[in-house]
Amino acid sequence: MKTILELRHATKEYRGVPAVKDVTFTLEQGEVHALLGENGAGKSTLTKMLAGVIAPTAGDILLDGQAVELRGPSDALHKGIAMVYQETSLVPSLTVAQNLYLGDARWFNRLRGIYIAAQQFLQSLNFPVDPTALVSSLGAGQKQMVEIARAVHHKARVIIFDEPTGTLTPEEKHHFFALVKRLQARGVSIIFISHALEEALQISDRITILRDGEYVVTDRTENFDRDRIVRAMVGRTLSDELYGRADQRRARPAGRKVLSVQNLSMGTMVRNNTFSVFAGQITGIFGLIGSGRTETAKVIAGIMKRDFFHGGQIRLEDRPVRYRVPRPAIRDGIIYVTEDRKLEGFFETMSVAENIYVAAMAGGQSRSSMVSMSEMRQLAETWTKALNIRVINSDARVVELSGGNQQKVVVGKALVQKPKLIIFDEPTRGVDVGAIAEIHQLINRLADDGMAVVVISSYLPEILHLSDRILVSRQGRIVEEFTGGQADEETIMYAAVH
Amino acid sequence: MFGVANLTQERIVLALALGLTTVFSIALPGFLTAENLLSLVRSVSVLGILGIAMALVVIGRGIDLSLVAVMAVSLAWTLHMVATGVPLAVALALGLAFCLLAGIITGFLIAYVEIPAIFATLAMGTFIYGFGRYFLITLDVVYLPDAARSIVWIGSGSFLGIPVPVLVFGGVCLLGALFLRYVKAGRYVRAIGDNLLAARITGIPVRPIIVMQYALSGLIGFVAGLVTATSVASMNIRVANSTFVYDVILVVVLGGIGLSGGKGGVRNVIVGTLLIGVLINGMTIMDVQYTVQNVIKSLILLAAIVADTIINPRDEQTAQQGDI
Ligand SMILES: Nc1ncnc2c1ncn2[C@@H]1O[C@H](COP(=O)(O)OP(=O)(O)OP(=O)(O)O)[C@@H](O)[C@H]1O
Ligand SMILES: [Mg+2]
Repeated sequence: MKTILELRHATKEYRGVPAVKDVTFTLEQGEVHALLGENGAGKSTLTKMLAGVIAPTAGDILLDGQAVELRGPSDALHKGIAMVYQETSLVPSLTVAQNLYLGDARWFNRLRGIYIAAQQFLQSLNFPVDPTALVSSLGAGQKQMVEIARAVHHKARVIIFDEPTGTLTPEEKHHFFALVKRLQARGVSIIFISHALEEALQISDRITILRDGEYVVTDRTENFDRDRIVRAMVGRTLSDELYGRADQRRARPAGRKVLSVQNLSMGTMVRNNTFSVFAGQITGIFGLIGSGRTETAKVIAGIMKRDFFHGGQIRLEDRPVRYRVPRPAIRDGIIYVTEDRKLEGFFETMSVAENIYVAAMAGGQSRSSMVSMSEMRQLAETWTKALNIRVINSDARVVELSGGNQQKVVVGKALVQKPKLIIFDEPTRGVDVGAIAEIHQLINRLADDGMAVVVISSYLPEILHLSDRILVSRQGRIVEEFTGGQADEETIMYAAVH
Repeated sequence: MFGVANLTQERIVLALALGLTTVFSIALPGFLTAENLLSLVRSVSVLGILGIAMALVVIGRGIDLSLVAVMAVSLAWTLHMVATGVPLAVALALGLAFCLLAGIITGFLIAYVEIPAIFATLAMGTFIYGFGRYFLITLDVVYLPDAARSIVWIGSGSFLGIPVPVLVFGGVCLLGALFLRYVKAGRYVRAIGDNLLAARITGIPVRPIIVMQYALSGLIGFVAGLVTATSVASMNIRVANSTFVYDVILVVVLGGIGLSGGKGGVRNVIVGTLLIGVLINGMTIMDVQYTVQNVIKSLILLAAIVADTIINPRDEQTAQQGDI
């Protein structure tokens, strides 16, 4: 097969610390090439060099065997290399169609024209997205679809997907894989980054694994299994406890009722929603994207603006509550861990320590109005250790951390506020196998310690693995409840869809 | 030592200021004298004090275009009251209260009514000027009355050979730095400037902090006004209509405090102020025309921004998406 894109002995350093060290990577015409590695292994860095987003510190990029210099993402796109980012890069204040055709001459045409074109185009990809909707009103999954559609629209020969499936529901994933196959059939070469190893095994032709910025191995996918991948990723064999699928344990019994939601309605997203959450167990909420789970959680935690509130009652330990801003909810012990960490999860110009300390201050841990540097250092130390947050140096800004480590910072910020009820919204999005296991262990420990834990997830195995109770959400309300260990994937999926 | 990547705008500007100082010291006799250097810093101390006020707001992702109007009107009113027989202490207290109130109203409009800062403060600046001119004082220029002689030292005195305005500038810088670093509210200001949504979801009292930020700006504006009024023995409220407030923004941006919030600190203001000070002083010694001075100032600003973009290229994608 013909090699289309190649990275030769590439190194990328940030402040003298290499994120990618002397890596050689080849992409063949029409293949799906999975790129795997732990958080911070350098996957995004490598692909960003190929997409012209960053320039290598050393090494060459070869396109069709010719050394090229990519002068920026638009130059790369022009040469046929498109990248779909880990997190969205769409313009929130424009509509879906405007985003699709951004940079096209067509954009200047009458809006109606591009809406019709966009409608047809999105339909041809089987994407259920309204082209006239503002991007800011879309859920994470739909944003991802628009992003993919944009790359396809630009007729790229190489498309790089940086964790495209993290935000998709099983059904959407299905569509996505079908789309990848169709692109491949058209001769498009694809680089696919994911933390879900099964996906890589299922969809790719070849797999390359990075570890700590270094090249480990490239081989045909048939020659890999889950164990070999994990071994290559972490550089040693790890106990099954951390990496294997834990077997079914007995569901924890329900403790005291902490939260009860009655007939909650809100906008068009939440309709007459009723459910309860108990202390000392994990309540998993499963549903498709757009089934109103995030919105419900955000009303409970006082994050939604009040004009969206259309009735119903929320009781915290039998006291009716209605928060207009998050602050009093946090003071009462209700904490929501966001699904969109870039948008509202952390302070990117601050260090890990500062992020955690700001959260501690805002959570009202100490009465004093002054900052205590020693307390800050000590909190940072405790939580970096507890969550195993990996940073190059302790002053590194959170924006410089890899996705999984950023997620751990967001979790740390929530836990430092000592919640009674904690709501995790997609807690392991973009997090590597090891870190997923760590975050799951942590969530389990919180429930064992008597906290009321809610986990919202679109990833069914995660729900099955964690939950003591499973609530299924559809069209803005909880439609079914299962006890953990009772239901299987099909039953739950059926309840979520029908 | 720092590598190329650590050449921040702050350092570029500092290097520029030092470079200019060297050039001027060699080329201009009389530049490098203790006397001239002191008068140099003294001449920009008001600018620097206002720069701190502006910086506090800009770090919180705001902007205060009413700053100079608040400063001018409050002090003019204070002097006017003293001239009409109000005891000095009472007049000062009322002037200060005026600044705080103006700041609180501005902050309220921005935080609770959710008017963009640039419009809210622009409107407030015009309003305060008009209101002051019509209701509070009768003339554009109010002279320092004899009853206020006892505070003249603020603008014209010196202590241990250092002019008091320079000391006030230093004091405001110190307090500003301490506020940003050691006071919770200061940390909150930076957090809000970094990411407002995250600040809200983390439980920071976002709206009260925004109000406080503008109140603080007004308070520091009053201090700057005191220094101005006592050093020239008058207050001309027409300064509210001049481009002075843009000079203040220039100092802040030049020093490297991004208008997008969350970045920079007091050091940046000092560096920006010094560069402007050196420049103006040198040009004044060389007898450069005022208009030409303005052109040169803006060229310097452009140069600093361009240099920053070249040395620290903003990677479009990381700028948009923090996740990498
Ligand atoms: N702009 C930057 N400044 C400093 N360090 C950076 C920057 N971008 C990435 N790094 C560092 O480079 C390393 C590799 O990061 P990269 O984002 O490529 O990892 P990744 O494999 O994509 O991880 P994840 O699976 O979490 O997305 C990390 O240690 C990260 O902290
Ligand atoms: Mg990544």
